[in-house]
Amino acid sequence: MKGAWSEEDRRHAAALAATYAAAAALALLAAALFILAFGGSIRVAFATVLQASLGTWGGFAQTLNKFCPLLLGSLAVAFGMRGGHFNIGVDGQIYAGAIGMAAVAFGLEGLNLPWPVFVPLGILGGVLAGAFWGLIPGVLRVRYRVSEIFVTVMLNFVALYLVDYLANGPWNDPLAGDAITVPIPKSAVLPQMLPKSGGHMGPLIALAAAAGIYFMMSRTIIGYEIRAVGDNPTAARFGGININRITLVIMPVCGALSGLAGAIEVSGFHQTLLLGLTGPTGAPNYGAMSILIAVIGRRHPLGVILAAAVFAILMVGSDSLQRSIGLPGSAVFVFQAIIVLTVLYVEARRQLST
Amino acid sequence: MGFVFDISLLQLTMVMMAPLIIACLGEIIIERSGILNVGIEGIVTVGSVAGFLGTFMMGSPVLGCLTAMMAGGILSLLLAYFAISMRANQIVVGLGIFVLGLGLSPLSYRLAVGVVQSPPQIKTLSGVPVPLLGNIPYVGEVLFRQNILVYLTYFLVAAVAFFLFKTPLGLRLRSCGENPRAADSLGINVTAMRYGACVVGGFFLGLAGAYLPLLITGTFTDNLVNGRGWLALMLVIFGRWMPLWAFLGALLFAYVDAFQFKVSSLPQMAKAVPPQFLLMLPYVFAMLVLVKVASGAEAPRALTRPYDRESRE
Repeated sequence: MKGAWSEEDRRHAAALAATYAAAAALALLAAALFILAFGGSIRVAFATVLQASLGTWGGFAQTLNKFCPLLLGSLAVAFGMRGGHFNIGVDGQIYAGAIGMAAVAFGLEGLNLPWPVFVPLGILGGVLAGAFWGLIPGVLRVRYRVSEIFVTVMLNFVALYLVDYLANGPWNDPLAGDAITVPIPKSAVLPQMLPKSGGHMGPLIALAAAAGIYFMMSRTIIGYEIRAVGDNPTAARFGGININRITLVIMPVCGALSGLAGAIEVSGFHQTLLLGLTGPTGAPNYGAMSILIAVIGRRHPLGVILAAAVFAILMVGSDSLQRSIGLPGSAVFVFQAIIVLTVLYVEARRQLST
Repeated sequence: MGFVFDISLLQLTMVMMAPLIIACLGEIIIERSGILNVGIEGIVTVGSVAGFLGTFMMGSPVLGCLTAMMAGGILSLLLAYFAISMRANQIVVGLGIFVLGLGLSPLSYRLAVGVVQSPPQIKTLSGVPVPLLGNIPYVGEVLFRQNILVYLTYFLVAAVAFFLFKTPLGLRLRSCGENPRAADSLGINVTAMRYGACVVGGFFLGLAGAYLPLLITGTFTDNLVNGRGWLALMLVIFGRWMPLWAFLGALLFAYVDAFQFKVSSLPQMAKAVPPQFLLMLPYVFAMLVLVKVASGAEAPRALTRPYDRESRE
């Protein structure tokens, strides 16, 4: 922070606040319409959302557990966008990270490692697997000029079927049923932060990752270069920045962030590898949510933290609405899109009028 | 290896090809005008639910297809408004539309159908062999013993190719995607052309969605589209923004898709190769193809660039 805000800063902040207030108001209006359409009472429904997500310790822990992958996934998108790269492959990278974690957990099971060694090793396995999954689109973009948008999307499906295979095939737990593996060893389980209500340490790790990204973007040379490429690739290139090198930094870091989310989901939350790790089909999945959270959070770690928190609350709250009035979880997608489009609208309006 | 050229496999290929190429044609029209529509997966998804519900509730596949086209047109119009009039970043708006479509589809399905024990079904269209042509051995059996929507697909591929490259209007449309300023100076209304392309392209995207329940499943499920929109977006590059090349690409992909479908139903194969690896095939194949194709492909030059009459660039 550099001293007091200038007049211009203040005007900018006020405009921003007004934009988001308008967006939130529109999204709430849409929410009210949906609730009415499904025959619920608006007052009861809004109360249910807050009560379910924040009103009890159990609900709060659930919200935190959702906050963790949402934050990491959105960071993985926001970080890429800041450097002009579109990462639509968060789901696949989460799956890759989950596979990495599970592979370490099952592979080193016989060594009887204590958890302070085993858990970080497993998470490292997940981060590396995620980074690898992110490196593929990076390499293809640099080497063959293939858009990372396509490759990340296609790799989502590849990772999904890979998990499908592992969870039904070699690692399957016949007692648990289809598409689920045997539980990972107890010493590979991430310790709990809220032991009674089932909240794991993941959110703290995610916040640390957000702080790391913030530091990298604002205080390091590579962060400066990434921002330069994102703002104006042509100018950056003339300024002597090697864009290929930046791509090969951005994409694996994006993958590593989502991979971390996947590792934490396995180690902390599910404690097994299963299909539907990133959300059941039709319900909001972390990958698609992350894209818009990154936009809503203005591609900045702090904004992303706030937006991810809001949508974690909405996800948990909408789960309970699904049970009580049958509103599908996918409604959260619609709120998200309404907020994004409103923000884009207001900002474009302002841009056009100046 | 008689299996590889099996008639029923090739017939299935034509069915799988239809929704891919229809979506691809819509995207080609839109991109040729200079707008990139990344929301295609979401729009096709909305088309699939609209097509299903329209057919289910009004009892007519024709009305189902029209409903889907309307839905696709409306969503595409929304994209057009942001991309053209508001000059917003087309990729960001497109991603917003993508997620909007993902959200709207299960929501409208639930709203219309409610919570039911067994999901409602519509009848998938049955084949109508073309007289004479359908009797040509092999080729005729593959191409002309199909249902009416597949025939419509053949027609639309030819029609869009003709429109883009042989009509004055098509030339004007392409000029808006290549050099909107030059087009404007010749009296072409760039804004109107781009809006028109988006809406007409949206009709195609919606129709492509309707093809899925009508041709393949007979029901609506949340993962019905399953990346086909993204594949179509990729086919545009594969086809270098030309309908006929995209058509060949769609055939190739549909073949891979149909192949994995048929192979996984063979008992002796199911033991040898886990089905999940067969399911991966189209997506892995897509990446390999992109690597081969992308570096030579020339996009319309003004793609993703909003046009501002008053700017002086």
